[in-house]
Amino acid sequence: MILLEINNRIIEETLSLKFDGASNGNKPEGLDVTFADFDGVLYHISNPNGEKTKVMVSISLKFYKELQEHGADELLKRIYGDFLVSTEDGYNVSLLYDLDALPANKEEVIHQAGMLKRNCFASVFEKYFKFQEEGKEGEERAVVHYRDDESMYLEAKKDRVTVVFSTVFKDDDDVIIGKVFMQEFKEGRRASHTAPQVLFSHREPPLELKDTDAAVGDNIGYITFVLFPRHTNANARDNTINLIHTFRDYLHYHIKCSKAYIHTRMRAKTSEFLKVLNRARPDAEKKEMKTMSGKTFSR
Amino acid sequence: MELPPCVVDCGTGYTKIGYAGNTEPQFIMPSCIAIREWAGVGDQAQRRLVKGVEDLDFYIGDEAAEKPNYATKWPIRHGMVEDWDLMEKFMEQIIFKYLRAEPEDHSFLMAVLALAASWTSRQVGERTLTGVVIDSGDGVTHAIPVAEGYVIGSCIKHIPIAGRDITFFIQQLLRDREAGIPPEQSLETAKAIKERYCYICPDIVKEFSKFDSDPGKWIKQYHGVNAVTKTDFNVDVGYERFLGPEIFFHPEFANPDFMQPISDIVDEVIQSCPIDVRRPLYKNIVLSGGSTMFRDFGRRVQRDLKRVVDARLKFSEELSGGRLKPKPMEVQVVTHHMQRYAVWFGGSMLASTPEFSQVCHSKKDYDEIGPSICRHNPVFGIMS
Repeated sequence: MILLEINNRIIEETLSLKFDGASNGNKPEGLDVTFADFDGVLYHISNPNGEKTKVMVSISLKFYKELQEHGADELLKRIYGDFLVSTEDGYNVSLLYDLDALPANKEEVIHQAGMLKRNCFASVFEKYFKFQEEGKEGEERAVVHYRDDESMYLEAKKDRVTVVFSTVFKDDDDVIIGKVFMQEFKEGRRASHTAPQVLFSHREPPLELKDTDAAVGDNIGYITFVLFPRHTNANARDNTINLIHTFRDYLHYHIKCSKAYIHTRMRAKTSEFLKVLNRARPDAEKKEMKTMSGKTFSR
Repeated sequence: MELPPCVVDCGTGYTKIGYAGNTEPQFIMPSCIAIREWAGVGDQAQRRLVKGVEDLDFYIGDEAAEKPNYATKWPIRHGMVEDWDLMEKFMEQIIFKYLRAEPEDHSFLMAVLALAASWTSRQVGERTLTGVVIDSGDGVTHAIPVAEGYVIGSCIKHIPIAGRDITFFIQQLLRDREAGIPPEQSLETAKAIKERYCYICPDIVKEFSKFDSDPGKWIKQYHGVNAVTKTDFNVDVGYERFLGPEIFFHPEFANPDFMQPISDIVDEVIQSCPIDVRRPLYKNIVLSGGSTMFRDFGRRVQRDLKRVVDARLKFSEELSGGRLKPKPMEVQVVTHHMQRYAVWFGGSMLASTPEFSQVCHSKKDYDEIGPSICRHNPVFGIMS
């Protein structure tokens, strides 16, 4: 798996199960599941008010307020329409599905439910992509603190949109592997000229952020994506958003896979060394020994 | 809201994963992984060294089942991890693809054989932490005594009969008798028949005569589809229905080296425990694991065990010339509806308690102290 998946399998499987059960005419069972996603996102699927024929899917994102400033509510209303209902206590967005009135396009509805987190994020990107399309420069930079000490900065210019991710490497080894990975990642334009330009800065924020309070530190890295109109135009927009909103998780996933691969190599090398050692063990030869009185014996 | 810990139970046959606080695992998948295998030179370890991103080219669980250019491997045998390379890869996809959890953000609870079993010995309602857990999965069966929350490690006994052995046994019986089953599918057919039609009988002789006298009522039909020719085939399911699971009580049917029935093993386990916990242990025998789900498994274990215990008490009474009358021993086998995922469920309940975060070990501790931190588990000191 090179790219992380965008949809949440647990939502899709749970809803599929319920929808199929309802269309087969089975009486629905009670449901109450709490689970999580990347970036501290929590979901809750339950039966509101104990009504087993209604399934509510709620999501909580710590940074939802910031997304709301950029039009998250409108976008969600556009995509989910009537499924969007007043939010459950403690959560930010709630969708309600009625098992007695199943929608005709079940698969599509389930797929969209699985993309709930992505759709929450999408509004910020769409807004800034539109700015670039309309040539509006000078709009304020968007800041989304999607993790406790990590943020995402978005800025639109006439001919490009810059997205800057700040990320923290909790482990010192991660810093090294991250740097090597980003070194290769930057060179993506060698492989394909459609790739966006990527810049990586370790410790210090890039020039675009020089007037902000962006953090400085040994274990902090900044990754800048420069997206051109070919990435932000209406045709490519959805795909770009899909790929970029989980970039931080993608980076850390690959760092961990690299570590796992290093372990594999370590195991292979260890078994090789063991073989060499075993070959090198001298045979217990029969040695002829003589004592002082002249008796010989062999050990 | 705090992020819930992740609970992972990797068994020989199936892996159950999910988030703590839920009653059921979110995913249950076979513990297999499909990797691209190159028929090259060098041993397995050498062959795993690949270039580029090829090490990420693999599938796990249900997706691993039918991939044409991939070889399916099972990293866990008899409850123990045998191939760590594959196990690491397996965990990669579990964490990032299925659970979608960032390891730095969540605590993880990995179900290790005996420890999780002790939590399942908690009776629903009453919290007694004393009992014997009979945990029977696909690869291995254990009888594990737990006293006051402490797993008496030295008294744990393994039984080499588990789900897979029952499946093999049924496959052999079917092979001798039924001609219609396509050979590549014989194992899956045996497995499906085992899960659907098998049960535990109180007495094999009586069962044989029941089947012989009224075949129409007892012999069932299994319909399968040949994966290659797409034609149907029918299988008669007869004596396998009760002979399969019977190998728990007559292991010599399937395994020439092992003769002791499971009830004897449980009895031995309890007798090897300190004398003061024996009565409570007999009173609370808990079943867990997929292979304990056969109908009437609990009743049969209870009956056989009670026979053994009563015989011993009677013998001691005779030896004392009738002077000592031991109090009759209460033997009780507890079945509950969480049996199949009992271990996972126990882990989920354990991880959702507030004390859990205090007993978790961090990577820093591991780097400092080493693997021995996992050997001692302070969990049960706090739970009382």
